[in-house]
Amino acid sequence: MTDRRSPLDAAHRAASARMVPFGGWEMPLSYPQGTLAEHHACRHAAVVFDVSHLGTVRVEGPGAVEVCQRAFTNDLARIAPGRAQYTHLLDPVDASVTDDIIVWWRADGSLDVMPNASNTDGVTSALGEEAAAAGEDGIKITDVTASRAVLAIQGPQARQLLASVSPAAAAVERFAVVDVEIAGVPCVVAGTGYTGEDGVEIAVPAGDAVALWEAIVNAGITPAGLGARDTLRLEAGLPLHGHELGAGITPLQAGLGWVVRWDKGPFRGRDALEIEREVGPARRLVGLRAADRRPPRQGDAVLRDGEPVGEVTSGNFSPELGCGIALAFVGGGAEEGSALVLSGRGAERSVEVVALPFVR
Amino acid sequence: MDVPEDLRYSSDHEWVRRSGSRLTIGITDYAQDALGDVVYLEVPSGGAVVAAGERISEVESTKSVSDIFAPVDGTVVEVNDQLGDQPELVNQDPYGGGWICVIDIGGDESGWDALLDAAAYRALIAE
Repeated sequence: MTDRRSPLDAAHRAASARMVPFGGWEMPLSYPQGTLAEHHACRHAAVVFDVSHLGTVRVEGPGAVEVCQRAFTNDLARIAPGRAQYTHLLDPVDASVTDDIIVWWRADGSLDVMPNASNTDGVTSALGEEAAAAGEDGIKITDVTASRAVLAIQGPQARQLLASVSPAAAAVERFAVVDVEIAGVPCVVAGTGYTGEDGVEIAVPAGDAVALWEAIVNAGITPAGLGARDTLRLEAGLPLHGHELGAGITPLQAGLGWVVRWDKGPFRGRDALEIEREVGPARRLVGLRAADRRPPRQGDAVLRDGEPVGEVTSGNFSPELGCGIALAFVGGGAEEGSALVLSGRGAERSVEVVALPFVR
Repeated sequence: MDVPEDLRYSSDHEWVRRSGSRLTIGITDYAQDALGDVVYLEVPSGGAVVAAGERISEVESTKSVSDIFAPVDGTVVEVNDQLGDQPELVNQDPYGGGWICVIDIGGDESGWDALLDAAAYRALIAE
């Protein structure tokens, strides 16, 4: 199967981006200035990512909210139209995190459910199952991913620089979701992101995406690729599906219990997760910091007193801290400040258990 | 990609600069570009006796891990300690400040003779 291409594909290639396959899409890994420069620009100025590979599944009509409540772990009753919420879809049998999702609840009452690229089909069918089980016939569930591009503008100067393109888009508050016309084009802007920095994400009709991208880049915002997106989210302690979330991993193990609202009634996977809640998760996600630059890597073993107690799920060099950092699952968890040993690729070294996020 | 005429090359994308029996080793412009930003380089052990094809070092970028192999038989007589703190020199100046180590081949010419010249290496990376 050929990888899908973003509406911005030609713009990336014209900018000499290095393109890589990701979740069934071909997306920019980095631009010529490189991942470290892009990372630095996001922490200290502003960057723009093309995140069109995220899915958009539009849920609308009578019962849309009820169906999302049945499907997902978080509670939409805690927010309102015009707000965004991070939530999980669980496996009904073992409460594994099938996907982690941002929901943009739009002012008109429709819900734009945004799964990870490779999970869009699974999320769409789970929503369909929940609609059928609830007997909601009036609901419409549509994968509208191909109709739009999504740009994430992130960094301490993101709003200031974006204001020269669209003051209204730049003013959208954290976790707000607002319909904004940018240069006459109807867009949806949300105060969300995945870098640990302030910023907004903009959904723009596919045919208008290049013009908006160019305006944003011309405003002095640096294009950044998946390489920087990964080092940024890792420093921010944010999970990546397929690493810290996925088959066999529950929200409780991943330290994301706050995403599960037990007081809201039934949701997919609740029964299975209640069992783990009773006994407590057998392993927990922890942050590890190395004393040297060498990046820990996924699959490195975690040892305590010479015995294997866990495994690294993501690791890299932290450009901000100047040392290796990792997320790892450790049996029984591990106390902040304690020492563990990483073993991989023929070497062992001591690492410290640290609080997340690594960089605030 | 820059492929200087006066160097020889291995098929593992290392360059070799000869001065008498001393061969300075690094990774090519092509290799550093393919790796992306280098964030860690394991400096080889000085004094080690190495065989061609033996792993002598490891270079890691934000996206991948790669081994560096001895391109010839010999003894590691000098290492670039600066790369421990500044591995980015491999990206910024692959044929200069990014040199990795010096291997002395003594009187054994076989390893040198087996290396690629610039034209052959250019053909390799054009494939």
